[in-house]
Amino acid sequence: MKIGVYICHCGSNIADYVNIEQVKKAIQEQGEAFLVKDVMFACADSSQKEMVQDIKTQKLDAIVVASCSPKLHLPTFRGVARRGGLNPYNYVQVNIREQCSWAHSDDKKGATAKAIRLIQAGIEKAKNSEPLEPIKIDAVNAVAIVGAGVAGLRAAIELADMGTYVYLIEREYFVGGRITQWDKLFTTNQSGREIITKLYNQLISYKNITLFTGAEIVHTSGSVGNMQIKVRVKPRYVDTTCAFDKEKFEKAIEVCPVEVEDEFNFGLTKRKAIFKNYPGEFPELPAIDYDNCTKCGECQKVCDGIDLDQKPEYLNLNVGAILLATGFDPYEPSEGEYGYGKVPNVITLQQFKRLMELCPEQLVYKGRKIRSIAYIYCVGSRQQNGPNHYCSRYCCTAAMHTALLVKEKYKDIRNFHFTRGIRTYGKQEHIYHEALEQGDVVFQSFNDPLCQVSAHNGTAIVKINDFLTRGKPIELEADLVVLITGMVPRKDNSIGQLLKVPVGRDHFFNEIHLKLRPVETVIDGVFISGASQGPKNIMEAVNSALAAAAKANNLVKKGFISIEPTVAFVDTQQCQWCDKCSEICPFDAFEKIEQDGKQVASVITSLCKGCGMCLPVCPENAIELHNYTDRQIESMIDDLVHV
Amino acid sequence: MDTKFINEVERYGADHFKACYDCGTCTAVCTLSEPGHSFPRYFVRLAKTGQKDEILRSRELWLCYACGDCSENCPRNADPAELIAALRRYTIASYEPTGLTKLIFKSNPLYILVTLVLAVIFALVLLSFHPQSDVSRWLFKYIDYETIHYTGIVAAVLMIFSLISGFFTSIKNYSPQKPMSKPWDALKKTLIEMGIFKRYQSCDTYEDSYWAGKPWIIKPWFLHFCIFWGFILLFTATAMDYLFKNPNIDVWWPTRIIGTIGGLLLMYGSTIVMIYRLLGPTKIYQSTKLADWVFLIFIWLTGFTGFWLEISIFAHDHTMLTYGILLFHVVCAVEMFLLFAFSKFAHALYRPIALYDYFRTKS
Repeated sequence: MKIGVYICHCGSNIADYVNIEQVKKAIQEQGEAFLVKDVMFACADSSQKEMVQDIKTQKLDAIVVASCSPKLHLPTFRGVARRGGLNPYNYVQVNIREQCSWAHSDDKKGATAKAIRLIQAGIEKAKNSEPLEPIKIDAVNAVAIVGAGVAGLRAAIELADMGTYVYLIEREYFVGGRITQWDKLFTTNQSGREIITKLYNQLISYKNITLFTGAEIVHTSGSVGNMQIKVRVKPRYVDTTCAFDKEKFEKAIEVCPVEVEDEFNFGLTKRKAIFKNYPGEFPELPAIDYDNCTKCGECQKVCDGIDLDQKPEYLNLNVGAILLATGFDPYEPSEGEYGYGKVPNVITLQQFKRLMELCPEQLVYKGRKIRSIAYIYCVGSRQQNGPNHYCSRYCCTAAMHTALLVKEKYKDIRNFHFTRGIRTYGKQEHIYHEALEQGDVVFQSFNDPLCQVSAHNGTAIVKINDFLTRGKPIELEADLVVLITGMVPRKDNSIGQLLKVPVGRDHFFNEIHLKLRPVETVIDGVFISGASQGPKNIMEAVNSALAAAAKANNLVKKGFISIEPTVAFVDTQQCQWCDKCSEICPFDAFEKIEQDGKQVASVITSLCKGCGMCLPVCPENAIELHNYTDRQIESMIDDLVHV
Repeated sequence: MDTKFINEVERYGADHFKACYDCGTCTAVCTLSEPGHSFPRYFVRLAKTGQKDEILRSRELWLCYACGDCSENCPRNADPAELIAALRRYTIASYEPTGLTKLIFKSNPLYILVTLVLAVIFALVLLSFHPQSDVSRWLFKYIDYETIHYTGIVAAVLMIFSLISGFFTSIKNYSPQKPMSKPWDALKKTLIEMGIFKRYQSCDTYEDSYWAGKPWIIKPWFLHFCIFWGFILLFTATAMDYLFKNPNIDVWWPTRIIGTIGGLLLMYGSTIVMIYRLLGPTKIYQSTKLADWVFLIFIWLTGFTGFWLEISIFAHDHTMLTYGILLFHVVCAVEMFLLFAFSKFAHALYRPIALYDYFRTKS
């Protein structure tokens, strides 16, 4: 077997501590290598070309490059091997920079001796290397998107446009998510509903999108490229005949005797058990909140399209990837936090947004006309003693923009902002300036809590030691206190648990790499987007949704997925199916199959990550790992321990 | 906090301070701002948070010479110097017991109306007393010499009364601080500062400031120096004239020399300042308000008509124009004094008090 060995100086990085001449001589003397060369920089273009030439002209069977960490240049030299006509897995990288010259810079002799041993072991591995081909698995060109908020809708349209079939799965009865609860939005003053209407109308023009509302994924199986998901669709108990007869529907609402807190308005109003959150909401089909419905049948008397006997449907879908756009929950202040729940005129920004929409002429809360508003920032964000350590990004802008809208909509309103410093980054800086120019006053404190709120004759007193006014204690009497609450992860993370998507310390979904792989998760084929992975404004949520759509499409569009062939394989002759391997496997990559009349373990290659956890637990030593076979590893050990 | 004070301050002519985002550049560039006496940013905060009492008792408001370095450097064009000027007007109006100043500082038409009506009243008073048969000088043919003196004295008494009232209101507001130097030393330092404006001279001294490379003779501090000393000299000459009761027309008579030098200084200073306020070379002059004009116009008109009279007397110009100018001159001078506590003029009282307190409590 002809093996070519290249020893890299890495400029002086290696050569200063490892005696390259001595190493070269030792390897030559050992006689295992067909060709031994030293190069100044193995990764340099000229060196790569030389290696390709050597492989071709000398007809090498394998190559070893002794240089830096494979983390840096494994793909580089695998490429060299491929260009020379070798199988990339007949290439072995030996790390003599980190492991010899850097680790033993105080011992040049030792470093040199270690380099020689490691290269010899590498040669052994190369000798026993086998050519491997990437594993191709079939992929279904379909993606399930979970959550039909602004991110989910946008991703669905984009994926459908690129030719991927989309199942859009929304847990609520209506699409649009959080942004439909917000009226005018920065910067265009377009309302959340206008945006959703636009997206929905676009969405329904695509034949390759199926939307499920009131739906949840309840079970998944399979793996990347070919996942089976089971979706439960709750019935609406209302069919289309009722929906398009507006009068009948309104009559049905009127006669419904049930009144419950309207979650859409954060408890500011009540709604009936048969409902729509707002006129023109999509899909244009009302729904019955079955849990609160008393099944009295009053609505059925006035509207014949109501069927209280509808049953949940279960659908089995086959998709290549799943894209999560499950969004966030607004932070719910704890009882007494800045007077929340105790002082009567303390509400959250989310409630205030709804209140503004419910008050077309005058701003009135609990019968009191509002003239002065105190906005308390960073509630539930940047906590010094709480789980939410960091900035929620959208809230400063949202609060300042709201302060502008309030003054624009109602007369004689005074805004007072109690902040930890304003973070209206980027273009949003303009609204901060606008708010200041309209006379809003900003206070600042770094205390925790940053101010105190107490009740006083129907108003609220807000006290702060204002950092900007030499820490002077300042007291403000406000008609309304608005807590600017940040974003927290969804309370219900059932979908994350089902798909085993890891979460970070902030409990939002975790991406693989914040900068370079921002929408992928360690679970192959599961992508994340929008505020499900951390606080985001709409623009940022849509950015990540489009990125996730592109990544998902890229994964499934070819019809197959190539994965690394370095996976485990079972010697079925030896295997006795003791189940130990499937127990230890963190990726559920083992299945039990029948072969030659006995039950044996088999590796599902699309799930195996090649971690090697199963190898030591097998009592029969029936499992091996491609590219790290027993023969390869044992021969390396033999060489290393050889005296 | 007084949530409506922010709008009150606006009515005194602070049009831009709301834009401030609390960076503190103004305080950093101010050559007079120092630890314990920092401004103007703090005053933006006091104005925004409605800390009226704190504003009324602050010394820093009067330590400022309104050079405008802060406004030149403000990244938000919040014009802190304009705010300081407005807060000074607010303070003058608050110290003045009748409440008239509050009205006229907040309404330009009313300010003009009050000024004109007062002028007409004075003119009528002056004209209603006919001179005695023995007119000591031809100039006082239509307006009685004695009447002028008595009107002057009445105006002076009212001025002194308002000075005393303003003095006590002003010091009553100051929060007591531990004195760090002897009263005598503090007084000495105050008088020196009033005489040579050493602190004002340290303003606008940055290399890139508008006035840095200009000759001292046209620098704002020197113009202020001219107006101040011109005023003092003219006041001295007038007082001496009255005391010696010697209406000598000889230009070499000492009171005349003092008066002429004073008049020249006053005219030079006020004329150039008026040009600056018209052309607006820097932000501080661009944000000129009516109160600035009224004070300046009074000074200028009094000086100008004074010189006119000098020349008319010298040339024996016995026309009606000369008699008219005399009337105009007297009305201007008397009204200026009368309105002392009701106008920007009041800074001549409040600044020395603030300076004295500053020197007294400075370690």
